[in-house]
Amino acid sequence: MALPLPRGLTPSEVSFLCEMELVTVTPRQRLEGLALLGGPIKPLNPPHRASLPLWLALLLKRQRRANILPPPWLSPHSLTAILDHETEYADAFSPPPRLPPQPSSNTLPFSPPFLLGATADAAPDALPYHWLELGEMLLEAASDDFEDPDNVRKLLRGLREVRMAKLRTNVEKLDAGGGVKMNGIGGLEVGEGRAFVTGVIDGLRKIAASQEQQRKDRDRYEGTGDNYDDDEMEMDT
Amino acid sequence: MDIDDLLAEVEVDSVPQEKRDLQELTRAWVAERVAPELLPWPESLMDRVLIRIRHQIELVEDQTGNMDPKANFKLIIIQTELERFKFLVRSFLRARINKIHTHPLHILNGHTEHSASALPLLAPSEYQYLMSHQALLSQHYASSFLSQFPASLQKLDDTTGGISMIDKPDEDAAVFCRCLRDVGEILVEGTDIRFEMTRGDVYVVRWSAIRGFVKSGDAELI
Repeated sequence: MALPLPRGLTPSEVSFLCEMELVTVTPRQRLEGLALLGGPIKPLNPPHRASLPLWLALLLKRQRRANILPPPWLSPHSLTAILDHETEYADAFSPPPRLPPQPSSNTLPFSPPFLLGATADAAPDALPYHWLELGEMLLEAASDDFEDPDNVRKLLRGLREVRMAKLRTNVEKLDAGGGVKMNGIGGLEVGEGRAFVTGVIDGLRKIAASQEQQRKDRDRYEGTGDNYDDDEMEMDT
Repeated sequence: MDIDDLLAEVEVDSVPQEKRDLQELTRAWVAERVAPELLPWPESLMDRVLIRIRHQIELVEDQTGNMDPKANFKLIIIQTELERFKFLVRSFLRARINKIHTHPLHILNGHTEHSASALPLLAPSEYQYLMSHQALLSQHYASSFLSQFPASLQKLDDTTGGISMIDKPDEDAAVFCRCLRDVGEILVEGTDIRFEMTRGDVYVVRWSAIRGFVKSGDAELI
């Protein structure tokens, strides 16, 4: 009964999350509005475009009731530009899409997969959090809605390799305390890198545990004063 | 604040409750799957979600007799979504039960500390489960070998001698987190690491350093 899986999300769980992303579809049939658990769905009236969660869009697509409009960043032109950026800057991922304006402090902040990163009016110049899963799923189920699916597939593969290489070279930056910035990382990449990255950090932490404990005790004893860094230097010499 | 911000704020407020609950439930599920320790039970959220699921099931049962192909397709959509929701809830609960199994006594202590507060650690049914599971377990240990030990060595939650018998999850384990609101400087205790975390940043950091922000909703685990 208890979940036998280790900490972290499995690839299928990540794609389950990705299926909540909204995508733009052009319906081919009418469909009445639906009161779903995750919020109401507006009636579909061809040929007006509508935004639906990916799982529903895939269902409609499979039954040939709708066509899916790939998001603008999933075009050969945009992907080539992003790939160039990725290869040029070797030390960080390409920046994620611009965030919507900050919500006021008492409202719930939304995050992917609920940030409209995959609709037809998403930003064309940045990869959203679920870029790889979304690209793969759309290419598999709706490749006929792409203008140049083979090229898109090739570029996605290229992006994935460049970014995985970055994730691996990042290892040198890891240390016992953590605090590694990874802006722009994708959902599947987190899932893939999690065991390794957190494993390295936790391992290093255990090696340095006694030193850290000493320091913690000293901090508590002395309080964190300004001369604290000097003390540290003396200890080291 | 310009007109875009104002518009966006109106939009955020007009997001239906169902959608906000889906976001919250998804976030709670991911957090529970990723965090090393058990998180407080989101009582009001789960109440709303479970009631809605029950209504939806009743609706499906009512409509199943309807043979009209159009209504039939609608029903397929509704059922598909229902299954997705049930998966979320089930996986969330199972992840919690897994943690309850691994560190029962630690969680029980945490629960009794927080039982008076607004955010209890365990749901009533989870508490019941933990208690009966623990009772069965200690009874089994006692009858199979503990009763042969001297009385002073029979305890399962001995904390004397400076070493606690109660197993704790690794609270310093590294996690991936995303910042939802600017939270300012993060300090990792016992190290030189300090950094500003602003909205949208993704960091790999110790759970103990950002635990408070995750619980207050200023950051989320991914």
